[in-house]
Amino acid sequence: MSVKVAVLTGFGINCDRETAAVFEMAGAKSERIHVNKLVNGEIDLQDYHIMAVPGGFSFGDHLGSGRLMGNRLRFGLREQVRKFVNDKKPIIGICNGFQVLVKMGLLPGDDDISFEQTASLTLNDSGHYEDRWVTLEFEKDSHCIWTKGLTRMRVPVRHGEGKFVTNNKKLLDKWNENGQLVVRYVDPNQQYPSKSDELLPYPISPNSSWRNIAGVCDPTGLVFGLMPHPEANHSTWLGATWTRENLFHGEGEGMVIFHNAVNYAKSQFSIND
Amino acid sequence: MSSEIQRIEVTPRVGGGLRDVRGDTIKSQLKTDHNLEILEVRSVLGYQINHELSEVQLTKLVEDLFTDPVIEVGCFNTSIFDNKEAFSETPEAVITVGFKPGVTDNRATAALDGFTTIFPDLASKVKISTSVSYVFFGLGEVDLNWLADQLHNSLIETALIADSNDCAIGDWPEIQFPELKDIEYTPPSSIDLNVSDEELIEISEKGLLALNLEEMKAIQQNYLDKNVQARRKELGLPPDKPTDVELECLAQSWSEHCKHKIFAAKITHIDRETGENSEIDSLFKTYIMQPALDMQQEVNWLLSLFHDNSGVIEWTPEWSLCMKAETHNSPSALDPFGGAMTGIVGVNRDILGTGLGARPIANTDVFCFGPPDYDGHLPEGLFHPSRVMRGVHAGVRAGGNESGIPTVNGAIVFDERYIGKPLVYCGTVGILPRHLPDGRESHIKTPEPGNLIYMVGGRVGSDGIHGATFSSLELTDESPSSAVQIGDPITQKKMVDMLLEARDLGYIEVITDNGAGGLSSSIGEMAELTGGANLDLSKVPLKQLGLSPWEILVSESQERMTVGVDEKNKQAFEELAKLHEVEATIVGEFTNSGTFLVTYGKDVVADLPIEYLHDGCPQLNLESEWTSPIHRPIIFNEETSPKEMGNILQRLIARPNIASKEWWVRSYDHEVIGQSVIKPFGGVNHDAPGDAAVIAPIPGDTKGTVISCGIVPRYSDIDAYAMAAASVDEAVRNAVCVGVDLSRIAGLDNFCWPDPVQSKKTPDGRFKLAQLVRANRALEDVCRAYSLPCISGKDSMKNDATLDGEKISVPPTLLFSLMGNHQDVTKAISSDFKNIGDAIYLVGETKQELGASELAYMFQEESEGASGIGGNVPSIDTKRNLSAYKALTKAMHAGLVESAHDCSDGGLSVAIAESCFGIDAGAKIDVSSLLVSDDMLDSWGVLFGESLGRILVSVNPDSIEEFEKMMDGIFHEKIGTVGKNDELIIMNNESEILTASITELRESWKGTLDGGA
Repeated sequence: MSVKVAVLTGFGINCDRETAAVFEMAGAKSERIHVNKLVNGEIDLQDYHIMAVPGGFSFGDHLGSGRLMGNRLRFGLREQVRKFVNDKKPIIGICNGFQVLVKMGLLPGDDDISFEQTASLTLNDSGHYEDRWVTLEFEKDSHCIWTKGLTRMRVPVRHGEGKFVTNNKKLLDKWNENGQLVVRYVDPNQQYPSKSDELLPYPISPNSSWRNIAGVCDPTGLVFGLMPHPEANHSTWLGATWTRENLFHGEGEGMVIFHNAVNYAKSQFSIND
Repeated sequence: MSSEIQRIEVTPRVGGGLRDVRGDTIKSQLKTDHNLEILEVRSVLGYQINHELSEVQLTKLVEDLFTDPVIEVGCFNTSIFDNKEAFSETPEAVITVGFKPGVTDNRATAALDGFTTIFPDLASKVKISTSVSYVFFGLGEVDLNWLADQLHNSLIETALIADSNDCAIGDWPEIQFPELKDIEYTPPSSIDLNVSDEELIEISEKGLLALNLEEMKAIQQNYLDKNVQARRKELGLPPDKPTDVELECLAQSWSEHCKHKIFAAKITHIDRETGENSEIDSLFKTYIMQPALDMQQEVNWLLSLFHDNSGVIEWTPEWSLCMKAETHNSPSALDPFGGAMTGIVGVNRDILGTGLGARPIANTDVFCFGPPDYDGHLPEGLFHPSRVMRGVHAGVRAGGNESGIPTVNGAIVFDERYIGKPLVYCGTVGILPRHLPDGRESHIKTPEPGNLIYMVGGRVGSDGIHGATFSSLELTDESPSSAVQIGDPITQKKMVDMLLEARDLGYIEVITDNGAGGLSSSIGEMAELTGGANLDLSKVPLKQLGLSPWEILVSESQERMTVGVDEKNKQAFEELAKLHEVEATIVGEFTNSGTFLVTYGKDVVADLPIEYLHDGCPQLNLESEWTSPIHRPIIFNEETSPKEMGNILQRLIARPNIASKEWWVRSYDHEVIGQSVIKPFGGVNHDAPGDAAVIAPIPGDTKGTVISCGIVPRYSDIDAYAMAAASVDEAVRNAVCVGVDLSRIAGLDNFCWPDPVQSKKTPDGRFKLAQLVRANRALEDVCRAYSLPCISGKDSMKNDATLDGEKISVPPTLLFSLMGNHQDVTKAISSDFKNIGDAIYLVGETKQELGASELAYMFQEESEGASGIGGNVPSIDTKRNLSAYKALTKAMHAGLVESAHDCSDGGLSVAIAESCFGIDAGAKIDVSSLLVSDDMLDSWGVLFGESLGRILVSVNPDSIEEFEKMMDGIFHEKIGTVGKNDELIIMNNESEILTASITELRESWKGTLDGGA
């Protein structure tokens, strides 16, 4: 048996192919599954070990990014998703997938998995959608199973609505204490570790996200979402400045995240393959 | 219960770290484009729901659907401006914009979908429309009508204004629900063509048929044929005259847009300089198709040429690639956003309609606009170029990004002659498995008589009627608003997902796009493959009831494909469509009856023999005559100090044609699919321009594809032959810079010409046609020399606008796009200098070629016309260039080259500066060896001349010896080294000829088109 990954597709999800590919590169078996097949019961989510909500423009993001897809999952897959997390199975949302998980209330989430929205991702202060590479720094002591051992990573952001905010600032401190603020934008010219709550200037932080937050996890550390695209840096030749670097070509910096989840699933569910 | 139309309004919360970014963006754009200072702009999104709902239901909708509780405030059936939580102060003015009836409203479609998730049982009864309000504080003295004009397009939108008095008394704008009324059904009629020639022309003009007298007469003749009449009698059709359905169908099929009549014409060509007087039987067959067919004999990778929606080449034993580029010029002039968006999603469908269906993996966008800072006279009815540019850019951004297709390559060209019609080229590359799981080769369509014809995707409405014939006419004050459409990327994305799955399951026998000409073209063209088709127009799902048969047949409503499916796969195909929430309807079947038989229910409304439909259009006879235009020479200031030369470079590099387009390009997603190897920008600060895109479409595999383009319309002012040659060479050069495999490159020619047919309106038609002849000859010469077949192409031949009695014609423009193989992307080269101390080489010869150069145009503008653009326009030596490209490619693959950058617009000095930006350092250059190589060459020519075939490269000092050896016999000169400080110094032996600061150059280069928001 291998680790099985359900990669959601449909309704404007765009990054399903590369997201499926990176899990395969990390040794899992991925399937691209149309959201409706899970909602109508044709496919049982519980047959999978990992769920991924890829990036894209679900429903065109016309009513706010991720909102309609978030509702489809919140209304159509509520119990299935809750059981998935209770079974200690990891979920990742990347870019639009992250927006979906936040809008449906799964991230930053709460202990009861109540699907109550407590944060949001709003329009970048720059006022526009943008594709540019950023440097991320990861929380050292987070219990997030996806980010274990990570320090820094270079990846592209490709979004217009990536500014992480909340209407209850006390929650920010709580999430911070819980180690849920797992990944932030940093200035690559600063020595590691340089994580800071001070707002970094554009374009080091591409969206003026509060506390430079690029991604968060839930209280269990199983559900993780981030605006940047680690799956877009799956190979060294996809880097922003690889032609300037002396490289031994192979897996790109983004792959660690996917290896982490696959390795976690292997050990958690005793899969030897 | 509330009143019939429910109004919901939503606005962002502001303060405490939250902003109304939409409002801020409008504020800064008004500042950039109109120098308008406004204290604050806020935005409100409105939704109108056309159905009764209870307060409980409305509350749920506001909370669960329309408002994000964290960042927004929403309310229903009370104005949000009376809500103190949303607006603590009374606005000074509010402008509310909503769509006109029938215009695609994507936010409303999404809202209805969201509504369905929450109230599934109510959804079928509900209609939703959207609006947006701009709310102004601290406005100052501004004419609100003028301001409203800047914020909406009256062709497709309505704006309501509340001024300060209205605001004071709380009289807020309320948009009416844009109810699309059913229209009264008009049954088919017939048109009597037994009339005088004048009346025939009148029928064509009044009906927007765009057919000339000869063509109208050919139709007239057909209905006088006794055999035709006998058959028509049998079918119950008027025997001696066409129905309106038939006439419209013929007009679509025979339109310039679909039939390319000018490229197919017989041309008598006279060259006043050489004395040539010859006859050309079709430019397309002679100069484009024949060379490609000849090359097809030599290689085994040219799989499909000219007969499908795009050309297909074999890329690897497992995969093939296809590419197509289209223009969407006229619609983009009328509605830049909708026109451009429709352009990009439209060309995506050409890819989906190639073979048995290809998957789009990369977009290219090339635009030609009037200058963004244009301050000359603007005829009534035209948008300012800056507005056209913002709109087109936003349309392509939305279309590409939402579809999940990366925009990997493009260009923006500026010239005052594009203010009448902008050129909006949209291209797409697709990938197909060589073989489908069922063994069929995916590039070959396999329809059989009896296959069911499905219309898949969107519905048919009155939008987009006469698009094909409209684009075959010049733009006038009477251009129809129905020709404008707005794309719906999400409907299309669902359809693409579904059809690619259907393809792999073996359900698709034939597939094509519904673009220009709608069903009349899509089914009409596919019917050629089996020898006939039956179509029942009453089966076609409509957006509004009452459309008459001819309208259903020719409507170009978007997001539709026509698919042929074997009866045995009917159920599975329909179930798949249902899963993806895509509409798929049987509208007919393929036959081998020899005719395209169209019914409306039981009534026959058209019967068009396939052969007549496709081959009945008479060939045009045209005349062309060439004499070289005469231009004033460029005036150079002989006493120009090195510092002043630096200033000239700084001004040149800031010109819109050369300036950085980074702000615009970064708002396209160029990396979705995870395949982007060489990106639009590289270098240490990610801001140095790349020459061509390299993508590696198969995850984990280093085999790649190169995508590049070339476009230099300026040179047409001297000679369109030079223009076309330079465009092809630029595309090839750009591809060589990144390491393309020259043994597998394929091209696309996209011609955009002013009307080249001699007439009263176009007294210089013969000259413009001669330009077209020359451009085609260049295309053939260069493509043959480079073994570069054109696998697909398109032409748009009426790029003129007559407004206010003023005619503005675009300069003859050829976009040449290239797609090529890359054997190993880890060997790809980028344009940025890599290390301080690396040797800088110029590969290729420099001649005194400043005619129609960017520098010439700059001097012309700066001298207000005293200085001309005359001189030698860059000439081409394909044999010399190709050997240089081949040798350089070898050196690259051997790892001897650190950087490579194309020398084009602005010449060598611009290329050096751009490569310097990539390392954030200067360079020390000595051009004496170049000056010595050609007696005619002076400093102006060496610094700013645009000779073809030249590539600027850098080489590590340790590799110089080996590099020199590999380049033996090729013209190349070591001209300098990458410096450590900020200075660019260009010497001629001991004397400085140009000095500049790289930092200052970069600021100028980036400042011109910084987007302003």
